[in-house]
Amino acid sequence: MVASIGNLALWLSLIFSILQIYVSKKGKLKVISVIVNGLLISSLGSFIILMYLHIVSDFSILNVFENSHTTKPLLYKISGVWGNHEGSMLLWILVLTIFNYFIFKLYNKNNSLLISKTLKVQSLITTGFIVFTIFTSNPFKKMIVEQENGLGFNPILQDPALAIHPPLLYIGYVGLSAAFSFSVATLNLNNKENIAWYTYMKPFVLVAWAFLTIGIAIGALWAYYELGWGGWWFWDPVENASFMPWLLATALLHSLIIVEKRKSLQAWVLLLALLAFLLSVIGTFLVRSGILTSVHTFALDPSRGIYILIFTAILGGYSLLLFGKKSKNYFDKNYFNFFSKEGSILINNILMTIVCATVFLGTVYPLIIEAFTNNKISVGEPYFNATVVPIMLPAILVMGVGPLLAWNRNKKSEILKKILPSVLLTGIMSLIIVSIYKSFSLIGTLGVILAFWIISNNIVILIKKRKNFSTGMLVSHLGVGFLILGITASSVWQEEKITKLKTNSSTEINRYSIFFKDINEVVGSNYVALKGNFVVYDKEKKIVTELTPENRYYPVTNIYTTEASIHSNIFRDLYIVLGTGNKSEGWVLKIYHNPLVIWIWIGAIVIFIGGTISIFKNLEKLKKI
Amino acid sequence: MQKKIPIFPLIVFFFILSVFFYLLIVDRNPSELPSNLINKNIPTFEAKSLISGKKFISTKEFKGETILVNFFATWCKPCRDEHDFLKKISDKKKVKIIGINYKDSSKKTVIWLKNLGNPYSDVLVDKKGRIAIEWGVYGIPETFVVNSNGIIKYRHVGAITGKIYKKISLIIDKNE
Amino acid sequence: MNRTNNFISKIIFIIFLSFVITQIPDISYSVEPDEILNNQNYELRARNISKNIRCVVCQNQSIDESNAPLAKDLRILIRNKIKEGRNDEEIYEFLTDRYGDFILLKPDINLNTFVLWFLPFCFLIFGIGIVIYHNKKSQ
Repeated sequence: MVASIGNLALWLSLIFSILQIYVSKKGKLKVISVIVNGLLISSLGSFIILMYLHIVSDFSILNVFENSHTTKPLLYKISGVWGNHEGSMLLWILVLTIFNYFIFKLYNKNNSLLISKTLKVQSLITTGFIVFTIFTSNPFKKMIVEQENGLGFNPILQDPALAIHPPLLYIGYVGLSAAFSFSVATLNLNNKENIAWYTYMKPFVLVAWAFLTIGIAIGALWAYYELGWGGWWFWDPVENASFMPWLLATALLHSLIIVEKRKSLQAWVLLLALLAFLLSVIGTFLVRSGILTSVHTFALDPSRGIYILIFTAILGGYSLLLFGKKSKNYFDKNYFNFFSKEGSILINNILMTIVCATVFLGTVYPLIIEAFTNNKISVGEPYFNATVVPIMLPAILVMGVGPLLAWNRNKKSEILKKILPSVLLTGIMSLIIVSIYKSFSLIGTLGVILAFWIISNNIVILIKKRKNFSTGMLVSHLGVGFLILGITASSVWQEEKITKLKTNSSTEINRYSIFFKDINEVVGSNYVALKGNFVVYDKEKKIVTELTPENRYYPVTNIYTTEASIHSNIFRDLYIVLGTGNKSEGWVLKIYHNPLVIWIWIGAIVIFIGGTISIFKNLEKLKKI
Repeated sequence: MQKKIPIFPLIVFFFILSVFFYLLIVDRNPSELPSNLINKNIPTFEAKSLISGKKFISTKEFKGETILVNFFATWCKPCRDEHDFLKKISDKKKVKIIGINYKDSSKKTVIWLKNLGNPYSDVLVDKKGRIAIEWGVYGIPETFVVNSNGIIKYRHVGAITGKIYKKISLIIDKNE
Repeated sequence: MNRTNNFISKIIFIIFLSFVITQIPDISYSVEPDEILNNQNYELRARNISKNIRCVVCQNQSIDESNAPLAKDLRILIRNKIKEGRNDEEIYEFLTDRYGDFILLKPDINLNTFVLWFLPFCFLIFGIGIVIYHNKKSQ
C-alpha cells in the first residue's frame, strides 16, 4: 500500500518533469511555479516513502529485502536507502529536482529567457533519470512472496562516513547538471541578450565543487580506516569517476572568474561546463553498467548500461553539436600574459584539464584495448602516480603565486618583491619538516616545499590584508596547502611494521613501544568480534593511548571485516590492524606510523569552508543583478 | 583553426561511447582473463601421481594425442558441478584427462573420486599451487585443451557447462 | 508476545554467535610476517615488485595489498626468485609469460600501450604551446 503511493509519487514526478519541458519556455510564471514545486514535492515524497519502507523493514519490497535486515541499526537502515543502486537513483532524482527548484528561484523579468531555457534542459535531464529509474531500477518493486527477514547489508558499508558519502557526491554531480543546463541555455541564446549567464552558473559550480571535494575526502577517509591497508586512495575506477568531474569543476570555477572580470574564455567555459557533467554521467555509467570491475562496483546489469549509454549519447551528442554550431559567438581574441592573474588561471585550467584527460585515458584505456585487440591490460596506481603527479607539480607552483598577481601584465621585479617573504617562509618551514623526517626523497621534499609555498603565500596575503581578495579563495587555497602536506608526508614517510606478537609482549615503531595486553571475544549489535587491547608507550615510558583493533564477523551476511584502530594527532597517526593467530604462536599485526595524515582531512574541511564562504558571497552578487 | 575546434569534442565523445557500446553488446565477462598460453607449448613441470605414486614428467607425457588438463579440488563446489561433464568427455571423446589436484588433501580426493567416479587418466598432486602458477591458473576449476603437439589450444575458467562442453568437443574433434 | 519473541530470537542469535566464533577461518591480511625476508634489500625489492603486480583474482588490488591465497603464493614465489638471484626483469617476465600483461599494474611500453604513455606527454606539450602562444600574442 505505502509502496504503491511511493510508486505513484515517482510516476507523478515523471509527469511533472515532462510537463516542465513543455511549459518552461512559454508558460505563465504561476504554472511553471506549480510544476517546479510539484516535481520537488513528488520526488521528495517517493524518497521519503522508500526511507520509511527501509525503517519499518517492509520485506514485501524487493529493494528492502535485498539490502536491509531487522538487526541493522536505525542509522544504517536510513543510509541503506541510498546504499544500493535503485535507492541511490531516487536520491539522485531528488537532488536534481532540488537544484531545479533553486534555478527556478533565480527567475526574474531580466533573465526570464535564460532561466526558462535552463529549466527546460534541466527537466530533460530529470526526465531521463526518472524514466531510467522507473523502467530499469524501480525501488518499489514488490516481492513475489513476502519474507521474514532481509538479506542484510554489506557490513563494510555500515559506517557513518559511508552513510553520508553518497549524498555529498550526488550534490556534487548534480550541481554540475545545473552548470550543464546553463551552458546549453546560453549556447541557445543568440548572444544578443547581454545576460550575465556566468554569474548564474557560478554558485552552482561552487556548490558542486565544494561538495565533490568533501564527498571525495570522506570516501578516502572511509577507505583509510575501514579497508585496513593504511592507504586512502587507490585510483580505482569508482574513485576516478568522482575525481574527474572534480578536476573539471576546479578548472571551471577558476575560469569563470576570468569570464566575469574580462569576458574572455567564454566558449572554453561553456565547453568545460558541458564536459564536467557529461563526465559525471559517464562515470555513473562506468560504475553501474558492469563494463569494468572495481573494488566497489554497484549493480551489474547490461540493460541499465545500454539505457545510460543511450541517454549519455543524446545528452552529449546534442550539447556538443550545439557547441560546435554556436560556440563561434563566444570566441574572443584576448590573449593573456604569462605573468598575470588571468595567465595563471589559464595555466591552472590547462593543467587541470590535462590531468583529467590523463585520468580518463588511464581509466578507459583497458576497455579500448580490449575492444580493438581482445587483449586485457591493467592500468593501476603506478601509472597514475607516474603521470598525474608530475603534471600536478607545476599547477601547484603556479597556484601559490597566482592570487598575488594583478590582472593584465605584472612587472617581473614587482612579482619578485611580492613573493620574497613567502619564499623565505617556505624555505624555513620546509627545512624544519624535512629535518624532522630526515628523509631526503626528492618527491617528499618537493611536496613539502610546494605545500608551504601555498600556505605561506596565503598567510602573507592575510597578514598584509590586501584588498580585493576573496576570503573564500584564500581559505580554500590554504586548505589545498594542508592537503598537499598531508598527502606528501603520509605517502612518502609512512612506516610499516608487520609482525607476529604474543600477548604480554611488545614491539616498536618509530619512537613508540606497543604492548599487547590481551585479546577478547566481544559481541556487538549484529556481529561478533575478536578485540585486541594494546597500550602504546612513548620513549619516556608514558602511556600515549590504548588501541583496540577488531576482527569482526557478521553472521547475517557471512562477512569478515577488520576494524583498524587509529590514534591521531596533528603530527602522526598510529594505525593497528589485527590479523590471524592464536594464543601459543601470537597474532599477526600490521602497524603503521603515518605522519601528518590528519592534515588531509583538515585540508578538505578547510577547502569546503572556503567554498561555502564563496557560495554565500556569490549568492549576494546574484541579488544585486 | 578555430573552425575545427568546436566539433573535436563531439568526435572524441562518440569514439569513446562507441567503444563502450561495443563492449556492452558483445558477449564478455569483465572479470575473465584470456590465457597467455594459448598456442604455446605447455609449461614443463614434474609432479607426483596420486594414483600410482610415480613421478610424472610433463615432457614425456604430452605427445601424440589430445589431452585435457583439469585443475580441481574437493573443496571447490563448481568442481563437483562439472564432474559429470568430465566423465562424459572421457567416455565419449576417448581423450585422456589429466586432473591436477590443487591445494587439497590426497585422502579426501581419493574418497571423492571413489564416490563420484574417476574421469581422470592420472591425478597429479599440486599441494602448494606451484603447477597452477606455471599454467597461469587463477581460479579453479580451470580446464585446458592440449593438442597432440603439446600446444595449448583452449582454456576455460570456471565449471564446464553444456555450452562449454560443446565448445571443447569441437576443439577436440578438430585436433589441429 | 512480540517482546518474548524478540527476546528468544536474541538468545538464539547469541548462541549462534558463540558457535561461529570458535571457527573463524583463515583470513590473512596481505603481507604476513612469515613471508618477510631477512635480507632487507631483498625484502624491499619484493615489496616493490608486488606493488606493481595485480591480484588477478580480486581486481584492482596489487598482490601486496591482497588477502587472496593466490596473491600470497605469488608473493612467496617472487621472494623465492629473488633469493635464487633473479633480477626484477626476469621476475616480471616470468609472471607475464604465465598471466599476460594484465598482471602488470604499470603497463610496459609496447605497441598496445604506446598511446597510453605517450598521450599525456602530448597533452602537456600542447598545453605548454597554448600558454606560450597566449604570452606571445599578448605583447
